[in-house]
Amino acid sequence: MFRKKRWFIFTVFAALILLLAACGGNQTDEAAGGSEGETSEESSGQKITIFQSKVEISEQLEALAKEYTEETGVEVEVWGTTGDDYFQQLQIHLNSDSGPSIFTLDGPYQAQQLQSYLADLGDAEFVPNIAPNMELTLDGKLVGLPYGVEGFGIVYNKDLVSPEDVKDYDSFVATLQRLKDEGINPFGLSQEAYFLIGHISNYPFSVQVDNVEFIKQLEAGEVTMADTPEFQEFGKFMEAIREYAVNPLDVTYDEEVGDFATGKSAMIHQGNWAWGLLADYEAEMDFEVGMMPFPLAGNDKLAVGVGAFWAVNGTKNQAEIDAAIDFLNWLVSSETGQRYIVEEFKFVPAMTNIAADNLDPLSQDVLEASNSGNTIPWSHAYYPPNLVVNEFTPIAQEFFLNEDMTGEELIQKLDEAYQNAVQ
Amino acid sequence: MSKTKDRLWFALFTVPTLFIFTIVVIVPFIYGIVYAFFQWDGIAANPKVFVGIENFIKLWSDERFLHSAWITIKFTIMAVISVNLLGLTFALLCTSALKMAKLSRTMIFMPNLIGGLILGYIWQFIFSDAFAILGELTGFDNIFFNWLLSPDYAIYAIVFVFTWQMAGYMMIVYIAGIQNIPEELMEAAKIDGANYWQRLRHITLPLLMPAFTICLFLTLSFAFKVYDVNLSLTGGGPVRSTEMFAMHIYNEIFRYNNYGYGQAKAIIFFIIIAAISLTQVYMTKKREVEM
Amino acid sequence: MKIGKMIKETLLFLLGILYLSPIYIMIVNSFKTRSELYENVLALPDQFTLEYYREAFAKMNFFNAFTNSLYITIISVIFIVIFASMTAWMLARTDNLLSRVIFMVFISTMLIPFQTIMMPLMQEMNWIMKTTGIPMLNTHGGLIFMNIGFHASMAVFLYHGFIKAIPRSLEEAATIDGATKWGVFWRIIFPMLKPTTVTVMILDVISIWNDYLLPSLTLKAKELRTIPLSTFYFFGEFTIQWNQAMAGLVMTIIPVVIFYMFSQKYIIKGIAEGAVK
Repeated sequence: MFRKKRWFIFTVFAALILLLAACGGNQTDEAAGGSEGETSEESSGQKITIFQSKVEISEQLEALAKEYTEETGVEVEVWGTTGDDYFQQLQIHLNSDSGPSIFTLDGPYQAQQLQSYLADLGDAEFVPNIAPNMELTLDGKLVGLPYGVEGFGIVYNKDLVSPEDVKDYDSFVATLQRLKDEGINPFGLSQEAYFLIGHISNYPFSVQVDNVEFIKQLEAGEVTMADTPEFQEFGKFMEAIREYAVNPLDVTYDEEVGDFATGKSAMIHQGNWAWGLLADYEAEMDFEVGMMPFPLAGNDKLAVGVGAFWAVNGTKNQAEIDAAIDFLNWLVSSETGQRYIVEEFKFVPAMTNIAADNLDPLSQDVLEASNSGNTIPWSHAYYPPNLVVNEFTPIAQEFFLNEDMTGEELIQKLDEAYQNAVQ
Repeated sequence: MSKTKDRLWFALFTVPTLFIFTIVVIVPFIYGIVYAFFQWDGIAANPKVFVGIENFIKLWSDERFLHSAWITIKFTIMAVISVNLLGLTFALLCTSALKMAKLSRTMIFMPNLIGGLILGYIWQFIFSDAFAILGELTGFDNIFFNWLLSPDYAIYAIVFVFTWQMAGYMMIVYIAGIQNIPEELMEAAKIDGANYWQRLRHITLPLLMPAFTICLFLTLSFAFKVYDVNLSLTGGGPVRSTEMFAMHIYNEIFRYNNYGYGQAKAIIFFIIIAAISLTQVYMTKKREVEM
Repeated sequence: MKIGKMIKETLLFLLGILYLSPIYIMIVNSFKTRSELYENVLALPDQFTLEYYREAFAKMNFFNAFTNSLYITIISVIFIVIFASMTAWMLARTDNLLSRVIFMVFISTMLIPFQTIMMPLMQEMNWIMKTTGIPMLNTHGGLIFMNIGFHASMAVFLYHGFIKAIPRSLEEAATIDGATKWGVFWRIIFPMLKPTTVTVMILDVISIWNDYLLPSLTLKAKELRTIPLSTFYFFGEFTIQWNQAMAGLVMTIIPVVIFYMFSQKYIIKGIAEGAVK
């Protein structure tokens, strides 16, 4: 009887000791690793941490970090991430004073939100090499180094459509009609917020003479979408898409691209990133692929911009900030770094000192447009934060589910949602 | 003397748990209550403005919040009923003398082993692809269509998947309850000539009250907090028809950047839910038979 | 009667099969290329290649992640069982205001969505780390500590419920024999709670094993990652590497399935032992 009792006491204590040992063991790891910056000065090697949002490049980035450590002795720790809750996680890490040294920003609004955490990159060596207007600035301070250039437009099957067929509203609708009569889905969107409405909603803003100025006027209530002709036409475009195309809410990004790759869709509204999926079908695809402008108000330019920027955490100690900037500099100027950007990350470089060759067809089209300056800017970067997900998407869902809702009503609702978000 | 000793024993048995629990759950929760009186965007370096109880007043006229609260309650009621009905039935079947009992117990429990978001993604395939095929085969295409596309049906899709997942979980608890019933009681009843339904009604169900208390409360709490299935299955759509409470708060805090306001909503809702479910626990506990 | 039983058996089996259909989808798609999956999600794969399992295994650094998950899960569950059963028994057997309040606090916190407290939690943990030097973040120990805190209430609740089924007379007899509360609990009560303990273990093993959000906030270094954390490579912002994700998932759940099958036997055994006494 007593034996049993002792045995239990023993178990409990054994377990307790194990836990303490676990804590203690990890404590020494921590001190040796010096992840918090305070210990890092005394250790011989500097350490930096990276928390970035593009899951697609995480494996390659880890390999790159290893090469960097071998070359310079600076330890680089890459944290894991998921695509959709990246910013929330970043926010929590920064708030609890355990943020990374390098992180991702998606545009001016996030920069503004996190302004107290941003280091000024203005003096970094890479600055002169950033392609014109591709950097992220906040109040005149350079805070973000572009990942790469991305562009979107109509990705089309060259056997089924030619850019001559899609020049303006009338020819666009005629082409939809012709393709539908041939039994092909003429135009694909998909259910994800940015692929449903986020990207396509750029056009009426981006074709304005000065899109940023237009947005300012819109926010100040000086203009409305409903009274702007480009928006009225956008409503008509959306009506046409709803009438002729498969309901995008029933289509995932994977299916959208799959339909296109197997010839079931002739055009999809996508960006050069879609090649990542199309490549999986390359063996079966027997047609050529290209990207052409979305012809709102006769637009003949691709929408090209930067979706993500590298930023450096300015709240770390100076040694760590310098080490982080050194890493970014190495990334865009060393041979290894440049090779990774082009060949491993598969970015269209936004740096003038990086040559890009062997690009996939979509990225090639984006690069050509970008080099010739034949582009319109991305406007969604200037929308109020999360507007696309929070407000535009439910409205677009309603539009695609409710056949009675007109394009005009769609624009009115977008207008209202925009005003609500600004207040 | 014996009273102090009792107190010491009480402390020895409860303090370790309470200590950890307080640090991990209670302190952050109170911290959150404090934030509810501020207007703050959730970035530590940005200003927090004290606004008193403004956040608590504002939410009563917030239509999105009221809608979200309403569908959460609707969802919870449906989920509690379906999960417990199925869970109990499964538990009774799986403790019966049937040969398949053990095997099916494992099969029914399996869904719980798939955690998190991926479960919802798999079900998306079922609703979009398998339902289409079923609809074609059976001709019932007014039942078998993609529920996720309809603002009216999407909520039932979540109830469906939630039930599919949780019924196995509750089955385990019910089984534990059934197995706690002393065998002698059953034997005695059998000898007295009671049939299956009589034994169920007069022995099994009354003695299962502790399991009922637990299962009802667990389903309630899981249903109120449902997030993963909600996010991966519908993402709150279409047209915000399924933005349930946990997601609503998450969006308010992290997507609309209203930290304080989101916390205020969380607290109000918590008070309401706690009142309802503690009443439930109190009432069912009263009906438990102590041995 | 016999036919009735046969029908019941078949129905039960069919129910089990129906229940498993999503798992079928998971398994078949772990063998498919993206274009195959696009063609038909439900069909059997063209060929059973273990390629994606190999890829997922390598990407996830599976052995390391597996060891981490195993360690975290086992230690957390042991502590949850020990602490929660003790607390629950005391609360169930002490009938005063304090014990009722504690119990109510435990169960009402089960209604708090984790998303609403994760930010203050991380701030607090960082504060503890800075002021006391105890490494709460980026360590397994810290995660285990938080796991205990988060899972304690449900375990207390489960134990509390089932302790009622144990006759008080047993404890009283032992107390008269001069046993301390400690002795009574571990020698008499805890063994009788075996079915509940197994239940608590099953439920907690699964939720800790599969947990993503809490570990993702606390563990940052690559070598500390658990299995669910290691699957992040497959989940892009807009698309998923389905084959690898599904393969990774299959590998994730196999250990839990084995654990479940094993512990199920144990439930039956526990019952049998109880009946003999």
